[in-house]
Amino acid sequence: MKLAHLSARMAAPIAALVVAGLTATACAPESSDNSGGKDEKSGTLRVWLFQEVTNAPKEKVVDDVVTAFEKAHKGTKVDVQYIPVETRAEKIKAAFNDPKSAPDLIEYGNTDTAGYVKDGGLADVSEEFTDWSESKDTDPTAKQSVTVDGKIYGAPYFVGVRALYYRTDIFDDLGLDVPKTQEELISTAKEIRQAKPDLYGLAVGGAYTYGAMPFIWSNGGEIAEGKGGSYASTIDSAAAQKGIKAYTSLFGDDNCPAAKCAGMGGNDTVTAFASGKAAMAIGGDFSHAAIEAGKVKGKYKVVPLPGVKSGEIAPAFAGGNNLGVLRSTTHRTLAVDLMEQLASKKTQGALFDAMGFLPTFTDVRQDVAKREPFVEPFVKTLGAGAKFVPASPAWSQIDASLVLPTMFQEVVSGRKDVEAASKDAAKKMNDAFSSAG
Amino acid sequence: MSRMTDRPLPGAGVAAAAPGPLSTAVGPEPVKSAPSGAGRGTPRPGRGGPAGRRSPLARGGWTPWLYLAPALVVIGGLLVYPVYQLGLISFLEYTQAQVSGGEPTSFQGFGNYAALFRDEQFWQVLLATVVFAGACVVSTLAVGCALAVLLTRVRAVPRLALMLAALGAWATPAVTGSTVWLLLFDPDFGPVNRILGLGDHSWTYGRYSAFALVLLEVVWCSFPFVMVTVYAGIRAVPSEVLEAASLDGASQWRIWRSVLAPMLRPILVVVTIQSVIWDFKVFTQIYVMTNGGGIAGQNLTLNVYAYQKAFASSQYGLGSAIGVVMLLILLAVTLVYLRLLRRQGEEL
Amino acid sequence: MSSVTSRESTPSGKFAAAASSPGSAGPARPVQPPGFVRNLVRRSVRRPWRLAAEVSALLIAAVVAFPLYWMVLSAFKPAGEIESTQPRPWTLSPSLDSFRRVFGQQEFGRYFLNSLVVAVTVVAVSALIAFLAATAVTRFRFRFRTTLLIMFLVAQMVPIEALTIPLFFQMRDFGQLNTLGALILPHIAFSLPFAIWMLRGFVKAVPEALEEAAYIDGASRTRFLWQILFPLVFPGLVATSVFSFISAWNDFLFAKSFIISDTSQSTLPMALLVFYKPDDPDWGGVMAGSTVMTIPVLIFFVLVQRRLVSGLGGAVKD
Repeated sequence: MKLAHLSARMAAPIAALVVAGLTATACAPESSDNSGGKDEKSGTLRVWLFQEVTNAPKEKVVDDVVTAFEKAHKGTKVDVQYIPVETRAEKIKAAFNDPKSAPDLIEYGNTDTAGYVKDGGLADVSEEFTDWSESKDTDPTAKQSVTVDGKIYGAPYFVGVRALYYRTDIFDDLGLDVPKTQEELISTAKEIRQAKPDLYGLAVGGAYTYGAMPFIWSNGGEIAEGKGGSYASTIDSAAAQKGIKAYTSLFGDDNCPAAKCAGMGGNDTVTAFASGKAAMAIGGDFSHAAIEAGKVKGKYKVVPLPGVKSGEIAPAFAGGNNLGVLRSTTHRTLAVDLMEQLASKKTQGALFDAMGFLPTFTDVRQDVAKREPFVEPFVKTLGAGAKFVPASPAWSQIDASLVLPTMFQEVVSGRKDVEAASKDAAKKMNDAFSSAG
Repeated sequence: MSRMTDRPLPGAGVAAAAPGPLSTAVGPEPVKSAPSGAGRGTPRPGRGGPAGRRSPLARGGWTPWLYLAPALVVIGGLLVYPVYQLGLISFLEYTQAQVSGGEPTSFQGFGNYAALFRDEQFWQVLLATVVFAGACVVSTLAVGCALAVLLTRVRAVPRLALMLAALGAWATPAVTGSTVWLLLFDPDFGPVNRILGLGDHSWTYGRYSAFALVLLEVVWCSFPFVMVTVYAGIRAVPSEVLEAASLDGASQWRIWRSVLAPMLRPILVVVTIQSVIWDFKVFTQIYVMTNGGGIAGQNLTLNVYAYQKAFASSQYGLGSAIGVVMLLILLAVTLVYLRLLRRQGEEL
Repeated sequence: MSSVTSRESTPSGKFAAAASSPGSAGPARPVQPPGFVRNLVRRSVRRPWRLAAEVSALLIAAVVAFPLYWMVLSAFKPAGEIESTQPRPWTLSPSLDSFRRVFGQQEFGRYFLNSLVVAVTVVAVSALIAFLAATAVTRFRFRFRTTLLIMFLVAQMVPIEALTIPLFFQMRDFGQLNTLGALILPHIAFSLPFAIWMLRGFVKAVPEALEEAAYIDGASRTRFLWQILFPLVFPGLVATSVFSFISAWNDFLFAKSFIISDTSQSTLPMALLVFYKPDDPDWGGVMAGSTVMTIPVLIFFVLVQRRLVSGLGGAVKD
């Protein structure tokens, strides 16, 4: 067959495709019914927790809770599955889309709260949470991370927070003091780089949003301000710009060369520190194991990241995970009960011992800090008041479209100045806030 | 594996396909009763014509549709229908909230498309995608063809080594391949900078060096298909033709240019179309190697852009619109290519 | 065989080359197996050239294989050595820890089996369907034949990522979510257009005279299809099945989208993804997992390599 009539023949099906889209709008895939409705008091409860690389200790803690729970509730079985963190988004969205295969209770990243609520996936448990005797000791930041529009959509499971790791051997060697202010931090970093040009003074990353935010927050800046659904970005405010300037001043041949550091994310900076390439880094309590496995074992300490004034602690980002009950559950009472058991003070304490996850209750946290001195700077940082990303469903979109990394990278690579870059970022955020309503 | 060289290849080459396995299938008669191929200078032209003009099967009535039915059912149900839905969704406001029933669906007309075309970045990304995909296709074809010719010039051991290495690259999952290449070129932990004495030069910082790195990985994992296919094609070329050419004193390049390339044209058409389709849709490599689109989004290509814009944040309507635009672009590129071929008298 | 026709003077002829007879295309001149190769090697390429070609082939093979070597090496490196600033192309203390983490996962064997079931089913079913379809479009003339061919080409251009959403709803409505069927069905659909497109040339290559002869001998159409055509086209089927096997075996996208809540239906790539943790990726685990995933494909490749080369050669000619 010659190709002569190719284009004509091909045009027909394509045209049909386009026209079909125009005319047949009434039959898009039907929406799922997520209302659940029933509240059965027995049967099987399905639970999804995140799978950690070394998952066995976590499984043990969870199994103990589950065994006790099954004993207390006759005729109830609990089926726990561990899902990979990497693919959680697909899984959980899929669960919202197909209530039949959805679990009753899930673990989720706390930056996803607002998005999941808007998707109509999480159940409002405000009443149960307030009635729960242990909830009064929940750290306010952790509580904020399960709250959207004043309603509570889960129980905080653990928190993750970042602080300053530094090399004791290098500080001793150069006779340096641990920096007490942000200014000192920056000058110390550059001093180290000058004395030891093969090291980064402070490892920073252009894509390391949560390492950069403390600089903005400590200067009085905010990502966005607002209430409920109507957020407006303030990343271009004078205070925020000051913070951006401070952070981006760390990129350059005098600390962390832009060519390498502009593209780094949080993990890269921690890796650089662990392998002995950096004298300081901003790392989380969860980075501890990775650093212990590296070259610098026994040669480092951790302090809270200094703020602008001496003695201040720069507000850190309160990361972490929550537990939440799905709106589609048919075992609401049981699911909420299990959620409380899994997020209880006792379980969180056990989980800390097993995995090193920081508890979300202030009193439990104090206890574990006494037992394990390593976590003290992190607990201190949390005590000084950690901050959270805007509780808007638009946040996951802003996060996914890399608005903040792009802003830092534009400044660092010299493509735009701080003002222009922050104005562009604010505009993109506002677009997202308004479209996510 | 050296058996490869000294045993007859069932079905290597068009003509050989007939006598080899056939005799085991139906006995010797068909060989005798297949005189149409005998007596011709080369076997190819004997079956080069349009399919089945004189074939007894040609007037099959409903038979072809019977044979096609399973394929049509599967493709229609699992490919055409979803594409239809894709087109549909691209005209709707369709986010996760609509999907899970939180909010009603609303018809947007060309709203998603308008938003896309208004976006300055879209046009930049489009340009980058076309240039990058073009570079990938050209490099892959050049490397693949050159190595295919090289394969025919060497003895069994080097050929086997190169073949196995290439198959290994082919077999590696894209996610892994990208990660390994990134580790290899890591400024601190990678061996490549050590070997080349580049110190701690970062490959992903500059826009072009980042694209170049991704291009290397894409070529690495996609040249094997071209190489193996073209090599297979060259082996099927009658040796007399090449002997004659080399006796005339033609250089290797001349032989490729004036003898091999024209004879291999059908093969080259297929590998070119496939490369265009695959390279235009490159996703994993860019996403993994440039960390989601590079410094300040400098390395975004259309597919990654679509993902960042839409799927990461569940704006399925907008994402579908980008998908439809991509489909139309690919279609246009292939159409133009097929037209050019037609002008040169090639058939489908 | 005295009456050797010209057909035997192709690469697959069985006789040694008559090295002395210069290139006349005489009908009775049989040629050694990879005739063209041998001839080139013997006559046109002088020794130093061949040596240079072989050395460069080996060098290129080393370069191409190096990333694979690095993958396997990293899998065996002990913790911390991957991120050493002194990368060494060997390791002094190879460790199996990374592999232990891979195999120590929940039901790893089950994942492996699932992947195998999916890949093998996809390969077998799509090969059969594609064979029938390719026969239809090459050996019959009927209305819409070209339209169909174009459709098979266009179908390959669909960006898969974009289709997961509509496909998700379809799988949900078919009740296939959480079953291997949700992976098998779409993979068959996605591998068919390419398989048909590739097989087309191969079916076309079977001489029509053969068909006539078969009918004269009283063979039915079905008998011709399965007992004559199918064995002839088999190398082509192997070649195309390589593509469907790899895409099904390496797939992350469908697996993570359609296997929602039943981990017993998970496949190998899902076991690999566990090591890509955003905060703390485990490169040793990733490399060990990738090695485990790549090996079966390599074995498959080595097994079919001969047929792959002959298959591709035949399939893409008309």
